[in-house]
Amino acid sequence: MDEPLQELENELKQLQPRRARARWLEQINRDLAAELPAPPRPRYATATNLGSWKWLGWRTTAAAAALALVATFGVVTLRRPVPAAIPAIPDSAAPAAGPAYEPVAASNVLYDLKDEGAVPGAGEAGARRVRARYVDTYTWKNPRNNASIKWTVPRDEIRVVPASYNPN
Amino acid sequence: MEATHEPGTWKLWLEAHGPKLLLCARQWTRSLADAEDVVQEAFVRYWRHQRHLPGDPQALLVTSIRRAALDHARRNARRAAREEKAGGGLEDRDGAFEPAPGEDADRRRELEGALQRLPAGQREVLVLKIWNELTFEQIGETLEIPANTAASRYRYALAALRKELNPACHG
Repeated sequence: MDEPLQELENELKQLQPRRARARWLEQINRDLAAELPAPPRPRYATATNLGSWKWLGWRTTAAAAALALVATFGVVTLRRPVPAAIPAIPDSAAPAAGPAYEPVAASNVLYDLKDEGAVPGAGEAGARRVRARYVDTYTWKNPRNNASIKWTVPRDEIRVVPASYNPN
Repeated sequence: MEATHEPGTWKLWLEAHGPKLLLCARQWTRSLADAEDVVQEAFVRYWRHQRHLPGDPQALLVTSIRRAALDHARRNARRAAREEKAGGGLEDRDGAFEPAPGEDADRRRELEGALQRLPAGQREVLVLKIWNELTFEQIGETLEIPANTAASRYRYALAALRKELNPACHG
């Protein structure tokens, strides 16, 4: 491209298309507002509630972990020589069938709470996003030998809370 | 346009890119109101159904806008014919470009007038290239023409503009 055409091209690039009307942007805002995820209901029950659905998952995990432990330690026990002085365990003392590890405790520690500002496109009512950061700790215990498993996991919880400005 | 992939962030993106898309839509519509309608339709469709598609979102949107504009024109052909017969609806009263502080307003109007007088095929390529920053390949895909044809039209458009504009500024 020759130089004058290049200059003209640069001059055209300097022109900025006219700004979009606010009403038009608002119209699209309304059209797409339905696409935003609904604000989550405030959660008062946490993972400490042993009846919550989360515990189903944790119990499954605990059972799997217990099976793995039993398999590992079971093999070790078989390989270990049994001292002659220890009396044999009578059959009646054999533990009942059931999950070896049971959830015994769950706790969460809130270590950071941050207001992340207004949620765009939340409509006229207005909303703010609040991020809470926890460390959750779950403990399982085997009542037969008092062995325990502790699992610590970080968790972020984001709440969208209605917010309004009241000058009074 | 990674930003539009997150809920809520599309608004910022649209504020930044909406004017370019509107200018683009105005090449294929009869008024600013029609351009707003087709960009809105295309953007909402993009956001709802296409935002996870691979590729350049700007090019996808421009293609979507063109299709929406063609559909819009077909739907409103009868009304448009009436407006044309009455001599209205062909151009907007407002200019297509934003006045800039300290600019030469006469020069801006001159450029705008020269742009409007370009053949439609050349003008749409120019708008897509300069203000929507598409490549000739993307322009070709959007307009369903070979990329070389798009490049030729672009050069013809610049040459035609240069010929028409005040030679005092451009040699």
